[in-house]
Amino acid sequence: MDLTTGSDLVPKARTTGDALVMAVRGEIDLHNSPELRTQIFDFLGKYSPKRLILNLSQVPYMDSSAIAVLVESLRRVRTFGGKICLTGLQPRVQGLLEIARLGTIFTIAKDEEEAMTK
Amino acid sequence: MRHLRLQTTSDPALLAPVRRALEGFCASAGFDDRGVGEIGLCLNEAMANITRHAYAGAIDRPVVLEAQFIDDELLLTLRDWGNGRDPSLNFKPADPLTPGGLGLVCLRKLMDDVTFVPQPDGMLLVMKRKRTEHRTTKEA
Repeated sequence: MDLTTGSDLVPKARTTGDALVMAVRGEIDLHNSPELRTQIFDFLGKYSPKRLILNLSQVPYMDSSAIAVLVESLRRVRTFGGKICLTGLQPRVQGLLEIARLGTIFTIAKDEEEAMTK
Repeated sequence: MRHLRLQTTSDPALLAPVRRALEGFCASAGFDDRGVGEIGLCLNEAMANITRHAYAGAIDRPVVLEAQFIDDELLLTLRDWGNGRDPSLNFKPADPLTPGGLGLVCLRKLMDDVTFVPQPDGMLLVMKRKRTEHRTTKEA
């Protein structure tokens, strides 16, 4: 089911099975990471998915404030037994996840299709 | 262009344009894409820390960035007129799942030298990075 989003930062979202899939777009830093948090937490509150798939293929850059949003989202998802899968990681985002030592804490997939199987 | 000086503010809306200006400066000086990106990230993190900590969230306070190349090394300084506290004094490597501290981890891992120089009315952050083709990421 396609979902309506209220943010250019999350242009597409849908539910499929027990998964919530959100496509994120744009550079994310302290200026707009609160908006990302609002979008994610609104959907988590409504759907409590077992699997949150964040498609980051259109996110060329993020900073530590965006990482903090991802970590906070993971903690939230875990409260209802879920997990987060990140897909489409761009080099700079991948690099920051490695610096943050989060590369093994999130499930990583190359695309949404693979994320559905992990 | 061997010198860049930008007078900006602590407004997070300015993080991206200031970062891009520095990235362009570093690219024109011969840093590769990875180096450009890592320096841009460090600037972003340092400026965000100024907004969040030195200025306690105020978005209208002054920040001055200066960048120059000296003997194949980038010298990057950020001056603020905030609370003057040295964030590195309370630094400890963070638990990945505990928010906070990642910005300073980035600075320490990605720059060759990071020094906070207290000023009578704020802080001067001095960062250095050599322009080398093959560079391994340091431990924080």
